[in-house]
Amino acid sequence: VFVRDLIHESAFAGLRAASAGDGVVAVERVGLAIATVIQRRGQSRELTAAVTANFALDLPVGAEWTANNGVAWLGTGPGKWLAIGEARETEFVGKLETKLGEFASVVEQSDGLGVLRLTGPALSRTLEKGVQVDLAPAAFPTGSVAVTSVAHIGVTLWKVDDQPTVDVAVARSLCNSFLHWLEASAAPYGLTALGG
Amino acid sequence: MTGPQRLANGGLIDRTKTIRFSFDGNPLQGFGGDTLASALMANGVRLVGRSFKYHRPRGIFSAGPEEPNALVELRSGARREPNTKATTVELFDGLEAASQNRWPSLAFDVHAINQLAGPMLVAGFYYKTFMWPAAFWEKIYEPAIRRAAGLGRLSGEADPDTYEKAYAFCDLLVIGAGPAGLAAALTAGRAGARVILAEDDFVLGGRLNSETHEIDGAPGVIWAKRVEEEFKTLPNVRIMRRTSVFGTYDGEYGAVERVADHVPVPPAFTPRQRLWKIVARETILATGAVERGIVFGGNDKPGVMLASAMRTYVNRFAAAPGRLIAVFTASDDGWRTAFDLGKAGVAVACVVDIRTKVAPEVVALAGDIKIFLGGRVTNARGGRALKSIAVMDATGNRSAIAVDALAVSGGFNPDIALSTHLGSKPAWSEPKAAFLAAQLPDGMAVAGAAAGHWTLAEALHDGTVLGADAAARAGRRPQGMLRYRTSDEHYAVNAFWHVAESRRKAFVDLQNDVTDKDVALAAREGFRSVEHLKRYTTLGMATDQGKTSNVNGLAIMAELTGRTMVQTGVTRARPPHVPVAIGAFAGLHTGRHFKPTRLTSGHGWAAAQGAAFVDAGPWLRAQWFARPDETDWLQSVTREVTTVRSAVGFCDVSTLGKIALLGPDVGVLLDRIYINTFSTLAVGRVRYGVMLREDGFVMDDGTTARLAPDHWVMSTTTVNAGKVMQHLEFCHQVLWPELDVQMVSVTEQWAQYAVAGPRSRELLQRLFGDAADLSNGAFPYLACAEFRLGQIPARLFRISFSGELAYEIAVPAGYGGALARRLADTGREFGATPYGTEALSVMRIEKGHVAGNELNGQTVAGDLGLGRMMSTKKDFVGRLMAARPALVDPQRPSLVGLKPVQPGDRLRAGAHFMARGVSPAPETDQGYMTSTAFSPTLGHWIGLGLLAGGAQRIGEIIRAYDPVRSGDIEVEVVSPVFVDPEGVRVRA
Repeated sequence: VFVRDLIHESAFAGLRAASAGDGVVAVERVGLAIATVIQRRGQSRELTAAVTANFALDLPVGAEWTANNGVAWLGTGPGKWLAIGEARETEFVGKLETKLGEFASVVEQSDGLGVLRLTGPALSRTLEKGVQVDLAPAAFPTGSVAVTSVAHIGVTLWKVDDQPTVDVAVARSLCNSFLHWLEASAAPYGLTALGG
Repeated sequence: MTGPQRLANGGLIDRTKTIRFSFDGNPLQGFGGDTLASALMANGVRLVGRSFKYHRPRGIFSAGPEEPNALVELRSGARREPNTKATTVELFDGLEAASQNRWPSLAFDVHAINQLAGPMLVAGFYYKTFMWPAAFWEKIYEPAIRRAAGLGRLSGEADPDTYEKAYAFCDLLVIGAGPAGLAAALTAGRAGARVILAEDDFVLGGRLNSETHEIDGAPGVIWAKRVEEEFKTLPNVRIMRRTSVFGTYDGEYGAVERVADHVPVPPAFTPRQRLWKIVARETILATGAVERGIVFGGNDKPGVMLASAMRTYVNRFAAAPGRLIAVFTASDDGWRTAFDLGKAGVAVACVVDIRTKVAPEVVALAGDIKIFLGGRVTNARGGRALKSIAVMDATGNRSAIAVDALAVSGGFNPDIALSTHLGSKPAWSEPKAAFLAAQLPDGMAVAGAAAGHWTLAEALHDGTVLGADAAARAGRRPQGMLRYRTSDEHYAVNAFWHVAESRRKAFVDLQNDVTDKDVALAAREGFRSVEHLKRYTTLGMATDQGKTSNVNGLAIMAELTGRTMVQTGVTRARPPHVPVAIGAFAGLHTGRHFKPTRLTSGHGWAAAQGAAFVDAGPWLRAQWFARPDETDWLQSVTREVTTVRSAVGFCDVSTLGKIALLGPDVGVLLDRIYINTFSTLAVGRVRYGVMLREDGFVMDDGTTARLAPDHWVMSTTTVNAGKVMQHLEFCHQVLWPELDVQMVSVTEQWAQYAVAGPRSRELLQRLFGDAADLSNGAFPYLACAEFRLGQIPARLFRISFSGELAYEIAVPAGYGGALARRLADTGREFGATPYGTEALSVMRIEKGHVAGNELNGQTVAGDLGLGRMMSTKKDFVGRLMAARPALVDPQRPSLVGLKPVQPGDRLRAGAHFMARGVSPAPETDQGYMTSTAFSPTLGHWIGLGLLAGGAQRIGEIIRAYDPVRSGDIEVEVVSPVFVDPEGVRVRA
């Protein structure tokens, strides 16, 4: 089999430092397992119960995220979540289907999204050049999720901690365009790219 | 000292910091803290520009963004920018400024001859004079007028600077950092509210910088500095200097921050300007008021200036507006100017007040200066600078007084344009002699002079109270209300607009050269509504938006038509309040970054192979892969097609939309979306489908595969992917929410390659090894399957767009580049070539497959030869509308193939069809050529087209008429399927 040994390339392989300084520090979260989980019709309660039983957490109801045992659940729409596993595994979708398949559809997205983790003292000043959502601590506390756009590019972003640290998920084909925005916006403060 | 008119003492300028700049090539010096206008004034420059229409000499009229006269060009080369107000330009070292609208020089301008034609150049002149003959307008009149009129020149080069956008949120936006704005921001900020304070100027304080008022016993300037210091301790208060709020929108404000306008070249990574969208719960408009002039003969002479502006030049910039100055006023404000000038050591000749009664403490401000109560200035004389004024006293006696500058005060207009952007109109207040904001937008309050509260005490009170209120509504508790002690101030004004006794040209609008006579003409000719007046005379247009002129113009119209100000009304201001560079609105989105570009995961590999790329919706797709020996795109494309038809090729089709559909009711949904039936599709099979819009026209086509009983994947065309997803979501969420279907785009998840040609099976079998059996029996035409190749999941579909034995293989996108590389490497043995969208297109035309050119929103299924696909056993979106008589008319243009009668003729897409021997006309038009290609397989050009009554006309010779490219040839109507009409190859 010749296809077996193909080399994988991450979505943000083009990430690089834009200017000296570490006003913003970016690192690609490589090796994530990502799935879209969509609740089946009329199965809201059952799905919530199944997630609680299998993953020991409360499935977020609104635009929030929560995590346990290496899997984060982000509310991205009514009855819709992104499940993000910290370790890439071929069976991620299969396992979710086994546990939740009766109540939800699970769709593989591990390669469809690139995820950047952004932090640094100038992060707020950088994000405000693209994000049209109020990211102030009171309005967007840790645990918040926003499905929005940056420079005409659809993004899902979530507050990881109060540093602040923010994770941004971008459709793979648009990662280069997103980096153009990020580099231009963070360059005055310095953009450091760390290897994943 | 920098310049003869620089006062020896005083001012808020930094005399230790000398700044070198030039005006019209003359080297000059200014100080830190100067504006271009103040530095020019200090240097004794009186003549700054030429007027728009009459090319009259003009000087500096104001000290702010209301400036109508002193418009200059800044910088040089690609950074040259026209029409900048010298009064708003922060002086920097190396600034090059130039006057504009003059030739050959500012002092001697030949176009000034327009003044002699003045009686002709009245309002409506162009409309009346250049109407006939109409054909002359574009070629002769307009170019001539454009040469003579207009102000500055654009650089004509690409802007070398960058711009960006930003978004801010706050509880309270305070617009203007004068005393009212500072008090509001301070009160709300101390209470803990999130405050943004936006200030046009490069310093805070507003009028405090221009006046000698005291607050709590200290000069107002010192108070402002203390407040500014305190802001530094309040992280919840954001100060935005050099920022103009230019528009009020629904709950949002537009603002432009001049980040690097005050330096010669922006530092690295720094944008020139930043466009802000500010989302504010509440707003306090503390924009102050703009003084208005008085309309009298010669009121545009260099040296005639607003009285309050003179105080700015003297008190803030230590620049004397003249050597001997007179004051002409309708308000107490003019007297204050006389006082401040005297205190600064500038000689004042007289104060002329139109009022007969003026408060004694105000009159006392003039000291022993000669005063004319109940007087008027009837005329101002001088060439390139004011030389004297004609004064008429209360008894009607006239005298000439030699002065080189005249301060004019006609009262104040609150700067309330931002309150009217959402549609309300200001209301006239007789006691204030001003238009005041009437219905305010939700969440907006007005403070200080902007509310017609002219005194410092009122401004501070307003700011404090409104700031506290806003903080309280944001859930913050203000800590006790501050009271300020201010120096005394008296203000009274009589509404006075126009000196009727003037005989010379008297200007209402200095920027647009609108005179009192133009307003009178508009009244005579029936343009009496304020909106008509504005458009007929251009009153209040252009960069200053009539900030100093509008109200006078309206008042003169009111007088002429015997109406009150209330009856006359006022025009509604629209955004932007100040000019904003288009570059700021574009932000980062210029050139290649005009919009985001979507790249497939195989893009890098294709680029390394020398692919040419083409825009396909938001994507870039490889168009062809030129080899070093190929000099022409057609050569490359022909080779690619020939290789696919004889061996094997592969093409990146990742850009096609891919939608995962899951759940028990997907079959039902698809039956309603597509014209043909899908619920019967077996697992492991693919079917081609066509979907219609509600109006019966074809929306999109593509294949849908059933991977598992309740797992389907739909493919759409590249360009329509978003639209189809939206359509599916609409149908599910709105029309049939009862269906248990889940859907999500997986376009980004999968890299997909078409592998086509007689040797495609061999190539793929080599790649898969024993992981899959691709024999025709095991994996026939229209089969699909999911595999696992080691750890890599893969999907295979046996579908063909080219008409050859073909497959599409999908792997997770991270492997897309590697898969392309592997196909190329392993494919070498089979003679494989990568191919682009051109070859793809040639082959689909050869095969008679429709694509975007035919799915153009005007065709129904029947037009495309797909009519028989429309199921009669079920309902689907568009079924009823598609049955309308006109859409089933057999004479509708329908799909045919075309080939040239002369084999060497080239076919052109867009050529129109008509019968032989008829004259080309819309009535004889029978359709047009939609797609053409040179067919390497047939060795001549072929085409697809939509021809009236098409299917019945096979064999007919018709004319393909293409006047745009001088094409006029005969073509034969043939079947649209040129290659393998029996479909043997795809099933091989």
